[in-house]
Amino acid sequence: MMSLPFFGLFAGMALAIAGWRGAAMLAWALSMTVLALLFRQHATDALNIVL
Amino acid sequence: MSTGTALLDPARSRLLNTFGLFAVAAVLLVAFLDQILYRDLPCPLCILQRVGFCGVGLGLVLNLRFGARPSHYAVAILSAMAGALVSVRQVLLHIVPGTGSYGDALLGLHFYSWALLLYVAVIGGCAVLLLFDRQFAMPSPDARPAGTLAMAALVLMAALTFGNGVSTVLECGAGLCSDDPAGYELLPARPATP
Repeated sequence: MMSLPFFGLFAGMALAIAGWRGAAMLAWALSMTVLALLFRQHATDALNIVL
Repeated sequence: MSTGTALLDPARSRLLNTFGLFAVAAVLLVAFLDQILYRDLPCPLCILQRVGFCGVGLGLVLNLRFGARPSHYAVAILSAMAGALVSVRQVLLHIVPGTGSYGDALLGLHFYSWALLLYVAVIGGCAVLLLFDRQFAMPSPDARPAGTLAMAALVLMAALTFGNGVSTVLECGAGLCSDDPAGYELLPARPATP
């Protein structure tokens, strides 16, 4: 599951090289969304710091 | 009407983006070499930081393929911001003395600290490049990556992105990665050295 954003961005690069700009941008947006969701899964503990 | 001089015309912009793409690829390459040569497995947050660099790379790839556009720099900046968010989280996890660290240090800083510094550099660098309007002159309709140098950068970046995906599958399988990975889930464990 954690490899999804890599493959999404790789697809974006392949689409860009093939000349499909809009599809490449969409692949990037989806990959960043997956990145945010995965980050949420891994950032569950409160930080032990005082801000 | 643009009033600036052509300090950064489309050709120079493309060259700078090519060098930038090589620099981002070098960051991923160093992390990959550390992983393979020193068996320093990336943690989940480390993997997400690598995703951020690949996103920056995609922004530069778009610039090389379609000509420089503000939206392509936005892709790079937003990717760097996402990666920096992950880096900040990891730096803060270990910022209090005595709370340990993760992985090897390189030139005195751990990889997540380097990542944060590099993300700030990427954001600053893209913001500076956005100051030069002449680079956004319309490219010819059949604009393609100029020369072998740009194509080499494109292929290297794509290969490293794909390689990181494969490496993550080997390390974590189909699920989430362990917070403190001890080995590759999909590779046979190495025998313990006496």
